[in-house]
Amino acid sequence: MAPVVPRSGDAVFANVERVNAELFTLTYGAIVRQLLTDLEEVEEVNKQLDQMGYNIGVRLIDEFLAKSNISRCVDFKETAEVIAKVGFKMFLGVTATVTNWDVEGTSCSLVLEDNPLVEFVELPDTCQGLYYCNILSGVIRGALEMVSMKTEVTWVRDMLHGDDAYELRVKLIKQVPEEYPYKDDE
Amino acid sequence: MIGVGGKIKQYSSVLDKPLSKGRQEVSLSAFAFLFSELVQYNQTQVDNIAELERRLEDAGYAVGARVLELFCHREKGNRRETRLLGILSFVHTTVWKVLFGKVADSLEKGTEHEDEYMISEKELLVNRFISIPKDMGTFNCGAFVAGIVRGVLDNAGFPAVVTAHFVPMEGQQRPRTTILIKFADEVLRREAKLV
Amino acid sequence: MAAIYNLFIINKSGGLIFYKDYGSAGRMDTNDSLRLASLWHSMHAISQQLSPTTGCFGIELLQADNFDLHCFQSLTGTKFFVVCEPGAQHMEGLLKVIYELYTDFVLKNPFYEMEMPIRCELFDIHLSQAIQKDRLVLLGR
Repeated sequence: MAPVVPRSGDAVFANVERVNAELFTLTYGAIVRQLLTDLEEVEEVNKQLDQMGYNIGVRLIDEFLAKSNISRCVDFKETAEVIAKVGFKMFLGVTATVTNWDVEGTSCSLVLEDNPLVEFVELPDTCQGLYYCNILSGVIRGALEMVSMKTEVTWVRDMLHGDDAYELRVKLIKQVPEEYPYKDDE
Repeated sequence: MIGVGGKIKQYSSVLDKPLSKGRQEVSLSAFAFLFSELVQYNQTQVDNIAELERRLEDAGYAVGARVLELFCHREKGNRRETRLLGILSFVHTTVWKVLFGKVADSLEKGTEHEDEYMISEKELLVNRFISIPKDMGTFNCGAFVAGIVRGVLDNAGFPAVVTAHFVPMEGQQRPRTTILIKFADEVLRREAKLV
Repeated sequence: MAAIYNLFIINKSGGLIFYKDYGSAGRMDTNDSLRLASLWHSMHAISQQLSPTTGCFGIELLQADNFDLHCFQSLTGTKFFVVCEPGAQHMEGLLKVIYELYTDFVLKNPFYEMEMPIRCELFDIHLSQAIQKDRLVLLGR
């Protein structure tokens, strides 16, 4: 078989089936609204959105790997670039920029140039503590965990809170070795 | 969101922002994963299938109410349909095309009841990747779409009961989904006066 | 004659989550398939340890005198493998197609629970179509 060449984010996005972003945006809005009604506390909604993102992330990573032909990344720097340029593009049709690396190369920022989740959205006074896009941080955390990377993902800037961009801080906590953990109870 | 030289332009209020033209796209997968999570979350909040249906319908209703506002303004030049067939065709054509990328396969009048209409789709977009477990019987995730339809109709002044059903098709491996619309009496009475 | 005897999918802990046989040869009962899956899981892991150089990700092809076994392991640790006629072609491609079907009709199904046995009607339908297509390609040559 011919060697498998990784595809660019644009190439993948051009080849996958797409839907109108408004269906996606409005459905996400409906989810946030349900959570606000069910959970009442904004802090709980943030947690639940992160959890839902995590659930999506652990499933979505396989599709990402299958359709992008990406193989193992050599280091966390490459991983971050791949998420920003291929991952975001492939699913949301937008790209992110990777900046603000720390000296160890284990934590960086993903800055979103565009964000389909927030079209039509403004936070009312009662929801000022809401991280409306918290599902995204969960998705990244869940997806990376499935390829043996434990991360912490937090919001640094959020335009719905008056900032000038969407910025996610991704910090690599530990890389779990790939060897099979042989346990007695298995 | 409008990109200016690769930077996001900031608006002080969402109302200052020009209305999206609705041409932006995301991958079907992104929507499918999100929808799947919507269903999974709601499963944790209910005790039975009827409740799950109701909650998915509620989520859809919220989408439908917004879709009506947005599309009437953008696609219809601020005109809203006031007649029964007009609003049904708006749902079957405009709403379907913008949300699902195609006009619905069919719009029919119920043969047994005057107040019933059916919009059918061979393969509803939300059901594309979903297999219903045997123990869930006739449950259809199209309840979400039924909710969208009800949200549009209700907010346009056409209250109705809307439900989603699998209908087996001859010669087809998979059943199609029919969105059954049963209008409230007042709608039919008003419509009769307008003739 | 069928090129493929059977297909296995095993989760990252070695549990069999999908098994299907094609044709009459090599058919096995539930216990045998479960046992074979967990054996293969271990053998695959051992093969990584056996590698004289680092960066080995396990057996991809096992050839015997009367069958071939092709294995694909995703980076997330799920293994897909087919047992087929010796010399059957395009199996890597077929496994890749099966992986994509898995991401569509299993992972996007809200009623599928991760790591659990796969019972998804749409996955079965699309899988049969993919295998059927593969057979036609073989017959056409």
